[in-house]
Amino acid sequence: MDKRLFRLRVYFKKKGRLANLSHLEVARALERAVRRADVPYAISQGFSPHMKIAFGSALSVGVGSTCECFDVQLTRYVSADKLCEALQAASAEDLMVTGCKYIEPDAPAASVAFPVSTYIAKLSCAPTNVIVPEIITVIRKKREKQLVVSEYLVEQPQLAENELTFTLEAKPTGSLRPDVFLKEALAQCPERPEVISITRILQRESATA
Amino acid sequence: MTNLWPQLERLLTRVERPARYINHEWGSFVKADADFRFCMVYPDTYELGQANQAVRILVNCVNATEHLAAERAFLPAADMCDLMRSEDVPLFSLESCAPLNEFDAIGITLPHELCATNVLEVLDLAGLALRSEERTEDSPLVLGGGPCVFNPEPFAPFFDALFIGEGEEAVPEALLRIRELRQEGAPRTEILHELAKLPGCYVPSLYAWRSEEEAQAAGSWLQPLEEGLPTTIEKRLYTNFATSFAWEPCIVPYTEVVHDRLNVEVLRGCARGCRFCQAGAMYRPVRERSADNIVDAVLTGLQETGYDEVSLTSLSSTDHSQIADILTRLNEACDNKGIRISVPSQRLDAFGVDMANLVAGQKKGGLTFAPEAGTQRLRDVINKNVTEEDLFGAIDAAFAAGWRRCKLYFMIGLPTETDEDIKGIASLAQRAYDRARAAVPPEQKGSVKISISCALFVPKAQTPFQWDGQISPEEALRRVGILRRSVKYRAVDVHWHDPKTSFIEAVMSRGGREAAAWVEAAWKRGARFDAWTEFFDEDAWREAADELGIDPAYIAQATYDTNRVMPWAHISTGISTKWLALERKRAQEEITTPDCTMNKCSACGVCPSLRVDNELAEVRHG
Repeated sequence: MDKRLFRLRVYFKKKGRLANLSHLEVARALERAVRRADVPYAISQGFSPHMKIAFGSALSVGVGSTCECFDVQLTRYVSADKLCEALQAASAEDLMVTGCKYIEPDAPAASVAFPVSTYIAKLSCAPTNVIVPEIITVIRKKREKQLVVSEYLVEQPQLAENELTFTLEAKPTGSLRPDVFLKEALAQCPERPEVISITRILQRESATA
Repeated sequence: MTNLWPQLERLLTRVERPARYINHEWGSFVKADADFRFCMVYPDTYELGQANQAVRILVNCVNATEHLAAERAFLPAADMCDLMRSEDVPLFSLESCAPLNEFDAIGITLPHELCATNVLEVLDLAGLALRSEERTEDSPLVLGGGPCVFNPEPFAPFFDALFIGEGEEAVPEALLRIRELRQEGAPRTEILHELAKLPGCYVPSLYAWRSEEEAQAAGSWLQPLEEGLPTTIEKRLYTNFATSFAWEPCIVPYTEVVHDRLNVEVLRGCARGCRFCQAGAMYRPVRERSADNIVDAVLTGLQETGYDEVSLTSLSSTDHSQIADILTRLNEACDNKGIRISVPSQRLDAFGVDMANLVAGQKKGGLTFAPEAGTQRLRDVINKNVTEEDLFGAIDAAFAAGWRRCKLYFMIGLPTETDEDIKGIASLAQRAYDRARAAVPPEQKGSVKISISCALFVPKAQTPFQWDGQISPEEALRRVGILRRSVKYRAVDVHWHDPKTSFIEAVMSRGGREAAAWVEAAWKRGARFDAWTEFFDEDAWREAADELGIDPAYIAQATYDTNRVMPWAHISTGISTKWLALERKRAQEEITTPDCTMNKCSACGVCPSLRVDNELAEVRHG
């Protein structure tokens, strides 16, 4: 049987206190959960063998999610339900596995499969209006870079009381971080709302889907 | 207890690495069913303290005791300390996020001499009085322990009680006693008196500190303030170490910490008898856990934690009588799982071809050996008991097995050291490089690297070199200069530790109770995180010394005759002072003393005075 077929995609959430973890910290925690769960993971060959695991697109420190995923290559078939149960028993409450499924060997990697993300931000008060800036200046590698917001922002943000929902698309050339976008967008509000939490609630393949 | 989380949470977006402060790691829990709450504190940041063995062991021991519960706390990083002060958030425990001053007792481990100002930072952030005498009835008992208590005096006034030696049994016993006394409504002074009766427990406030003259005449620096107090405090041992299971629950951190792996303690103690080494004195006798125990513990630990690396820890793991068996079994069990098995502190005389292949595993990072001194003469003085041939044999084996980098660790300023010994370091490293190059295939010769790493000798309490002074920082730099000029190979590089911090270490290592005032004055001038190069504030320490009129250079650098009563004479590791003096004499005569786990007893005094013996799993062959 073709071993490449044993490619498992695992979905999980990042919430509560653990929203404070960085991408690297989450990755290490997940690898350890995979080992604790006795998942029959494959290891790479070569000088420094390690688990064949690939993570989804990064979430910033402080940003939570209901819809994260990673892919792990297995050495044999075990039913997705069984793996899910084992992973849940080995996972922390705030970094809980929510589901597993086998994916095609040639399916796009978790890190690039879902460039479009929808976020919901809870604010300390309800602003009357949110004005999206045209340009946001960020520092990348010690250099200022001007990002044209319309290239990343998929649709107009939706404001409902003190909750703002917005969708950003990552480009191969770079992306606009949700926390940076929020900070700039809220800077114009006379109510001066503070960000209580940011949560990614949806990841999808394309802006039109 | 108050839950500070709502206040803390708001600060997290404003500080670096919030994962240090959030608890909820895999394995963390709060024991609810207890009426006495203890908080174990590491006086530095989470990254340095989370992997600390004392914190893990004592939290587990206390939680395993009926009525008692334990939590962890760490000193926040400097940015967070400042923010907490400005926002009025006191130091908190991780598990309950409770203020430290609401616990019944807190325990601070003292891992090294440069942690002293951080201890004050901990107490101050916790809202506790810095000195024992200033604490009120309802403030928690402030307890201490760890390596630094073998000369406790520079820390003494800040602690209500200090525990000498291993705490597995001593700490739960003492906490139960405090609980009992508190339930009886005993005042603080009575609790301190009762603690002073426990073996291994030192209550500094019950003794006055004598002057130099009085101390030398009386044979002790301590003047008991009343009758019935012990005048010598002997270290405690964990009597069941060898037979206890080597796996114990551990917390798996999220953020990257030092030694972030499964650590399994395979043996305790080292009888090699290096004359500068305090750990060798503190942890005698040697006690080995069995191969079955260790293998079982490693496999259980990997399953429970999910770590991809295990380290077989001890002062000298390759000395374990069953080390080859242990490594063979672990290599088999972990085959093809991407699990790395590492053995720290490789003895270079125990590192042959077999060992190289056993620990080679898969990944080959750097390898560190510690010849400590550059010439055979000086290695005999310090009783290192390794030869050049041992080093070259280890290098041959390591580079043939695939390593390409090796770090050689040396000390500068050892007693009797001359410039010839310094040049000997360069010569030894360069010849080691030649051997390494010869051991690798021609196309890889360019990647061979040897680095020399030097630290300044710090005279440590309870060792044969306790009477020997440290060389001055200026002299240390002169010797480093000689070393750098003596190294001619470009593939051999030289690194050295800043002698200014080693100077502070020496003062803390050898000072009496007067050094505590120096620590407090330095802290008041802003000294903290002294072990961090970017925070070390030499001026604060110097100005503090000027203010108090003490001469730290004398404390660090004076060399004494062995009949001088040292400021830690009331603390006993079980080793007799007579034996330390004999060892110092042998050092000066360049005579070595063999390891008692492989040869005859060297009569240090530990076994008879503590009524124990070395416990080896099998016969050791040196």
